[in-house]
Amino acid sequence: MEYEATIGIEIHCQMKTVTKMFSGAPCTYGRKANTAVNEIDLGMPGTLPCLNMEAVRKAIMACTGLHLTIDPLVKFDRKNYYYSDLPKGFQITQQFHPIGKNGYVVIDTGEGPRKIRINRIHMEEDTAKQFHLKTKTLLDFNRSGTPLIEIVSEPDMHNGQEAEAYVEALRRTLYYLGVSDCRMEEGSMRCDVNISIAPKGSGKLGVKNEIKNMNSISNIGKAVDYEINRQKTVLENGGEIFQETRRFDEKTGTTVMMRRKEGTVDYKYFPEPNIFPIRLDPEWIKDIQDNMPELPEVREERYSREYGLSAHDISILIANKEISDFFEKVMEYSDNAKGVCNWLLGDVSGWLNRHEMSIENCVLLPENLAKLVKMVDDGRINGKQAKELVDDLMEGKDPEGAAKERGMEQVSDEGALRAMVVSVLDANPQAIEDFKAGKDRAVGFLVGQVMKASRGKANPGVVNTLIKEELKNR
Amino acid sequence: MIKELREDRGNVEKNVRGAYEEAQRLQEKLNAVVTFADIDTQLKELPEDGLMRGVPIALKDNVSTKGLRTTAESNILWNYVPVFNAHIVDKLKAAGAVVIAKTNMDELAMGGTNLSAYSGPTHNPYDLARMTGGSSGGSAALVAAGVVPMAIGSDTGDSVRKPAAFCGIVGVKPTYGRISRYGILPYASSLDHVGYFTRSIEDACIALQVLAGRDDRDMTSSFREVPDYSAELNSDMHGKKIAVLGNVVRNLKNPQTIAAFNHVMDELKARGAQVDVYDFDEDLMKAILPAYYLIANCEATSNHSNLDGIRFGNVQKGETMEELMKNTRTNGFGPLIKKRFVIGSYGLFEENQERLFRKAQKVRRKIVDAMKDCLKEYDAVMAPASDNPAPYLDDNSADELSANYLIVENYMAMGNFSGYPSMTVPMGFADDLPLGLNMTCRPFEETTMFDFGKAIEEITGSKDMKAEVE
Repeated sequence: MEYEATIGIEIHCQMKTVTKMFSGAPCTYGRKANTAVNEIDLGMPGTLPCLNMEAVRKAIMACTGLHLTIDPLVKFDRKNYYYSDLPKGFQITQQFHPIGKNGYVVIDTGEGPRKIRINRIHMEEDTAKQFHLKTKTLLDFNRSGTPLIEIVSEPDMHNGQEAEAYVEALRRTLYYLGVSDCRMEEGSMRCDVNISIAPKGSGKLGVKNEIKNMNSISNIGKAVDYEINRQKTVLENGGEIFQETRRFDEKTGTTVMMRRKEGTVDYKYFPEPNIFPIRLDPEWIKDIQDNMPELPEVREERYSREYGLSAHDISILIANKEISDFFEKVMEYSDNAKGVCNWLLGDVSGWLNRHEMSIENCVLLPENLAKLVKMVDDGRINGKQAKELVDDLMEGKDPEGAAKERGMEQVSDEGALRAMVVSVLDANPQAIEDFKAGKDRAVGFLVGQVMKASRGKANPGVVNTLIKEELKNR
Repeated sequence: MIKELREDRGNVEKNVRGAYEEAQRLQEKLNAVVTFADIDTQLKELPEDGLMRGVPIALKDNVSTKGLRTTAESNILWNYVPVFNAHIVDKLKAAGAVVIAKTNMDELAMGGTNLSAYSGPTHNPYDLARMTGGSSGGSAALVAAGVVPMAIGSDTGDSVRKPAAFCGIVGVKPTYGRISRYGILPYASSLDHVGYFTRSIEDACIALQVLAGRDDRDMTSSFREVPDYSAELNSDMHGKKIAVLGNVVRNLKNPQTIAAFNHVMDELKARGAQVDVYDFDEDLMKAILPAYYLIANCEATSNHSNLDGIRFGNVQKGETMEELMKNTRTNGFGPLIKKRFVIGSYGLFEENQERLFRKAQKVRRKIVDAMKDCLKEYDAVMAPASDNPAPYLDDNSADELSANYLIVENYMAMGNFSGYPSMTVPMGFADDLPLGLNMTCRPFEETTMFDFGKAIEEITGSKDMKAEVE
């Protein structure tokens, strides 16, 4: 039987704010445990929440970038449950009135672009981090109270590739807007994927399983495809799918059951009494929306229009915002977009990877990269020589000076080259005979001889032209 | 008293130490104190000036005090020492007040008798066999006994105004948002108010001057400017309109209470006030208590979910985190608290919430609308704070379904539903025990409320009245 999978994704994303959602303690990562907390984050008796409006601003940006309708009346609710990582015994969230509703992102699929609908975005606070040891559990409250948005998709995806593309599209938008640093490996972006399968065309939904613990986007695709196959195998062998929470095991590439879900938990949601509903000023919202950083899809369109780059180049360039930002800086000095793009995605990225550095913290100057591309374009050095200059370039050196230092500046001066060509032709009468007999490769041989005579400095393009001209005169 | 103490600059230490020693002397009789504070350090750190400089005060034990144990009279917090001060503690200290003690209360402020305190009940200074009322009983007792001129309480249903009546003192619950709640251990956030006791209206004015004002840590606290309450105090009753709460007055039984109340009303009329009987819908009045009970317990069960033994408090051991939390809570709460948590949880369950918690909110709105209508026409709503004076400690004769109980003994939660300013003042005696009169005014019109209070104080001669404890 053919099955169809239905996939919905919930994403928790930490917002990049200086302080926490409801307290003045700093948002940090990697700091010594329990040093970025105050009495509010610890749920001490008598503490009260105070809403971080910067978090609201970031949430509005996220909603706008993902085409959701914004509710200008901000309300919060309590989600009540007991857990050791939840200091107040409830989480402040937006159950009844999410800040955004009904949006979408466009993803690329094998069959072209497709809209994946987003049901809602709501704001809430993060919990503490737990470390379970053999005989004890350690708690770090630094994360407690960090602002989160939860993004809930509609069940619009059907395979691992689409799930992956959806998360990538969200990540790209949220990252470009500066809403979040979206680091899955650090947990600032966390995905819960719900998957069910049912016979194709049945119009029914199967029992869904939730997969957690995927620390990279590529793992999402792997996990989803594994899970679809697992469910298929169970059903084909006459088995039954139970509602479970599973985690992705990176080593084995499989999903492993964490717990079976029995019934639903009653979180006893009710409106948070310590935060009155807040009516957002429409002018404030508009101001945020008018001053948002450029969205990736807008940048894509602009690169195509302004630089005439191919869709493929654009998508790779834009996937890394810092590289893309750098590209634009180089383009202030260059008119060869394709050349700059190739350099950035090729040798520059390669060098950065080898040195485990990123474009924002290396000393490469945009004008130097532009200069190098121009030197090649002008034929002052050849491609092979340019590659030899990458280390100098990446260490902040001016490529012109570096080329001179290495004695590799090409000779393009026609007068000097013509003299060299004439003497090479004089020395190789046989090659001239061959050329006249129709053997085109004689030209290649002669170019090689000139290059040799110039110790590699001659501009091969110019040499080629000059040889053809001189041959006509013989 | 506050002004006199403030101006007695040469005797600050004597006055503070005197109050401290008096509280210690009375402790065996009143059991009003949970923890005595370190007055020496405070005396050393006294600011040069302040509206309450050198004035000894007491704080209900649900007010967070940095470095000073704060138990809220619950076993679960018996060893809890806060790492921060409540907003009002900082304000009081900046004004020069000296905290001498943390006072007894009903466990977690849930109760109206002060009988549910982990360390046992507080005794009424007028008759040690009687209760103070609650939940702010310890603070009321210390003020009534003349130990301190002012003590902080909290008021979620009538927890300041009822003990004020039973102890013959002034009990103020200002408008919701007038005083920051930051650092006050909560009961029910939407109903909780910081309140206080004094023995005169003048002191009540000074105290509110110190306590009121915006605090950015409490989003529900008001940005409104704080008026100069003392300067605006004016007991002229000409043109003032008073609504007597007919539903309460009609259900009174105690002839001494009726007589005392009528006497005050007659005198207010004689001073130029217009006094009319005003009736609310009787069914609505009977719904106050059940609606209050639901809202308060629903919010309370959530508010106290942080008391799990993980980060602070009287932790009990367990094999797992879940077990540790369960053991801590089972051991830490008294039976009445557990009952309230069960009721609160029940009211919040998804299948019950609409017909219980949400319905109670609708009732609350209706009552607030009715109050708004009434106060469009009148400057204050008045009624006795209770039918009878303070009951005996072992009294459990209340008929919980009678109109007398449902309305007369519990109508003051109206002030918490609406957040309107409400105050109880002494209005006379029944069998040598004090009686209280309650009034509620329009939001942020504490000045009007104090004007009425001042007039009544002049009528009854209750200024600075105190109980002699033998």
